[in-house]
Amino acid sequence: MDTNRLTNYLPTRPISLISNDQLNVLFTRAFQMTKTFRVLFYTISVLLVVAIAFGLRARAASMLPIDFDEDDYLRAGQEYAHLIRTSNWSGFLETNYRPEHPPLAKIMIGLIILSAPEEALIPDASTSALPNKNLPTDLVKPARTLNAIFGTMTVAIVALINPLAGLFLASHILTIRYVSQIMLEAIPFLISLLAAISYLKAKQSKRSGLNRWLILSAIFLGLTAASKYLYCVIGIAILVDWYLDAKEKDSVKISLRTVALWGVLAIVVFFLFDPYLWPNPIGRLSESIFYHAGYSSSATEVQNAGFPVWQPFFWLFFFPTWFNKSLFPFPSDPFIMILALFGLSRLWNKERLYVLWLGIAMAFLLVWPTKWPQYIMILTVPLSFAAAEGLFIVRDNLLEWWGARKTRAKTHYNKTETRRALPWLIPGLIAFTILTVCPLFFQFGVSLTDFNSASIRDGFNGGIWRSISLGITGEIPAQPANLETRSDKVNFVGLNSYPDVFSFITYSNNWSMLFFNVLWTVLSILLQCGLGLGVAFLLWQHGVRFGKFWQVLFILPWAIPEMIGAMMWVNIFQRDWGWLYLAADKFGKDSFFAVFANGLDKSPSMWLIVFLLPAIWYGFPFMMLAASIGLKTIPREVLDAATIDGSSIWQTFKYVTWPLLLPLLIPAIIVRGIFAFNQFYLFQAFGFSDSTLATLSYNIFNPSNGFGGYGGQFAVSATINIITVILLMFFVMVFNRWSKAGEGVTYA
Amino acid sequence: MRKISFLQQLATQLSLTLVGLFVILPVWGMVRLAFDGTLKGRPTEFRLLPKIWSFDAFMQVLDKPYQSVDFQVLLKNSLFVSFSAALIAILLGMSLAYAFARFRFPGRQSGLFALLLTAVLPPVAFMTPLYIILSLIHIRTTLLALIITYATFAMPFCIWNMRSAFQAIPKEIEEAAFLDGASDLTSFLLVTLPLALPSIAVAGLIAFLMAYSEFTIGWLFVEKADTVTLAMSIYAMVQSQYTGGAQPWSFLGSLTIIMSIPVVIIFLIFQRTLLERMMFGSLGD
Repeated sequence: MDTNRLTNYLPTRPISLISNDQLNVLFTRAFQMTKTFRVLFYTISVLLVVAIAFGLRARAASMLPIDFDEDDYLRAGQEYAHLIRTSNWSGFLETNYRPEHPPLAKIMIGLIILSAPEEALIPDASTSALPNKNLPTDLVKPARTLNAIFGTMTVAIVALINPLAGLFLASHILTIRYVSQIMLEAIPFLISLLAAISYLKAKQSKRSGLNRWLILSAIFLGLTAASKYLYCVIGIAILVDWYLDAKEKDSVKISLRTVALWGVLAIVVFFLFDPYLWPNPIGRLSESIFYHAGYSSSATEVQNAGFPVWQPFFWLFFFPTWFNKSLFPFPSDPFIMILALFGLSRLWNKERLYVLWLGIAMAFLLVWPTKWPQYIMILTVPLSFAAAEGLFIVRDNLLEWWGARKTRAKTHYNKTETRRALPWLIPGLIAFTILTVCPLFFQFGVSLTDFNSASIRDGFNGGIWRSISLGITGEIPAQPANLETRSDKVNFVGLNSYPDVFSFITYSNNWSMLFFNVLWTVLSILLQCGLGLGVAFLLWQHGVRFGKFWQVLFILPWAIPEMIGAMMWVNIFQRDWGWLYLAADKFGKDSFFAVFANGLDKSPSMWLIVFLLPAIWYGFPFMMLAASIGLKTIPREVLDAATIDGSSIWQTFKYVTWPLLLPLLIPAIIVRGIFAFNQFYLFQAFGFSDSTLATLSYNIFNPSNGFGGYGGQFAVSATINIITVILLMFFVMVFNRWSKAGEGVTYA
Repeated sequence: MRKISFLQQLATQLSLTLVGLFVILPVWGMVRLAFDGTLKGRPTEFRLLPKIWSFDAFMQVLDKPYQSVDFQVLLKNSLFVSFSAALIAILLGMSLAYAFARFRFPGRQSGLFALLLTAVLPPVAFMTPLYIILSLIHIRTTLLALIITYATFAMPFCIWNMRSAFQAIPKEIEEAAFLDGASDLTSFLLVTLPLALPSIAVAGLIAFLMAYSEFTIGWLFVEKADTVTLAMSIYAMVQSQYTGGAQPWSFLGSLTIIMSIPVVIIFLIFQRTLLERMMFGSLGD
């Protein structure tokens, strides 16, 4: 017996220092930590996150320059501080500077600046006034610190639920900025989170009806409303979640009473904590609410900003960090946003409320005409929860990849086979290299110079070769990239022009080309897919008349060469002589055409629609054909069987049709997606002078808009080109890894 | 599946008509321009139908569409450039496609990756370096430069498609030929190639159409009237319109229609095969 056990310990394979199995065991061990260790780890990470959060916020509070609106809210605070100092309690009924926002957050500012000596009241200024640089420092400091503390408390609560989400919230730059200034954000930011958490607690508790947690959540919701209306979207999210929950349990009617009580309680609390409303509740409430509607449609600063519909997405991806590079060295927002996108479905399974919160808030921000960046704050809490789940998904994928590396077959190359392949490879490889690889490498070379149309004579007389070859071998040093001052000799600038061009692509003139390119791709695919699938399903129904005729007609846009199709649309939307403008002339100023044309002259959102129309027109036939072919492969008997078994139309679609269709659709979507990302002819045909409303491809062809407005910036074009190639490389890699059906495209 | 009811039929036809209108509207805009005999320059009033129906523009375009160049010359240039470009892309890419389809060798995976990457790059990405390179060797304004440019655009796509065409042919057939004493080359030429030819031809057709209908990029490679292709004369017309040229827009309309008709017919006939090739052969059967 003993010997037997001994052999168990003897290695059966040659010993390496640590075997793969042992490594795997260690790996699993590390994740199955003992309970004490877990608690310790959790506590330390929460503390760490809170420390980071407070550090970043305190730093921002002390270093950020004075921003818009800070003077207004500080003045409001001063007024309340004065009331308290003089014990003029009835004054609260009549005081609310900037009455469009409820007073609670302003009263808090008033309370905190009580500790400082009283200062002269900050002068009244219009909402469009520039930031007031001369605010008294001894008031700014406590007011900002108060906000920063509330901001840190929010992070602390999020970190208690999920330390990783806390870390994301702690480092979210937009959030840091607006909780560290004298804004009204930090307080409702915290209280709305508390409302959400108490509601979740209530859901967990055994006692149904209006239990303690539910009462608490109603109180918090009321307080949220008394601080800033916008944050009440959490109330809507709670209602939707409650409805979904009750529908599952079939108890909508029973719990209706509870919800009504909950709502009434929230409203009562709101009135209690909004003393300004007491003398004239209806009048003042409607005044403050209608102020926002009027403000969004008439205020000059909103008009001047001219933000398009999708601006909130833009703030989420590219919140500008340039305003203080030393304060925010690392732009974390885009990464948090991307992780959040990946994590949404997982978060839905874990805690639906957060996803609802995120979705409803986003929908609201998209619809609401005023699009100030601080409004994004209403959704950064659920955003960081989603980002945490996204990171878990990335981790799981990496672990899976690591675990699967052993099973991946190692390819052994057979020498004779390689030798046999050589005569086939060599001629093709030479042609391929000359035609496609060389131009790309050459392009990379050009991107290392400052070649442009001013230096074209020198460039074509050997200047390009000279600067690239001497520069790469190090014989001449790289010059700084001054793309706007154009010399008549080609200079080697190395990688120096990349940062300029990259920031030109990602953020210039308050806008981002790269963001537009991604938005464009996503919207085109969604819409093409929607229309294509819809038409395919319509034609697929049993017994549809004229099916062949419709199919032939719908293929037409796909068959027409892209540039010609684009010109057909230009013929409609061309300023002054397109159909639209001619119709506007003919049918007068109030006609639909004139209104549309008028809107077109002003708004980037309208231009997006105008560009999307041809994109759908050109792309939907492809999706329709792919879907039709896929639908034909589904035997009617299968569907009949499903119907007989009593499945509804929706169930048949979800469990039978869709899974059979998807493998065919994914390659089509990828192909169309790449096409949309590269879309060039459409923008070229419209000849839009503003390069920011166009894809990167268009900017490779017309590279000159950002750099002094000169033509012929060949080096800029080359740099954008190389960046595009790198981006597409990344896309191809992601497609390869993430979609099994994608393998159909790539390694078929 | 049950047949749809009358109401469903009605709703379906109604929605299909709406989509149909969306599809036909821009095309109709061109048709109206093409057949309007009264246009002197750009259209000046809103009309759904031509004021006077006329074929004059078509006649004019079929004679001398661009400056004083004959239609035949333009068509000849077009066909020559497109056919050569497609042929180069197919012939030079074929051996590479076969190597990737049949053999295993070091660097195969990264080669495939490079191939796929070049296939998804936008044509513009190749245009700018080719413009400079071809200028450097002083052939930028010749037909050869156009052919090289279009061949470059088409080549990665053609290689990828030929590869999947070769892969679709069972290896066993070749092995049988190999056992009978045929060399790699003979078995390729006599066995594999004939079987894969239809798919290769379709890939070539797509390359041909690409070159046939491209004009924005090609325009940069033209200086003299005798290297202009048919498609480019459209661009020339558009350009002259922007600079206040005097040609009626009906010329533009009729030329685009004349150009598009053969392409549309080809697409209608080969729709399924073309779709499959455009999806890089992943549709399968």
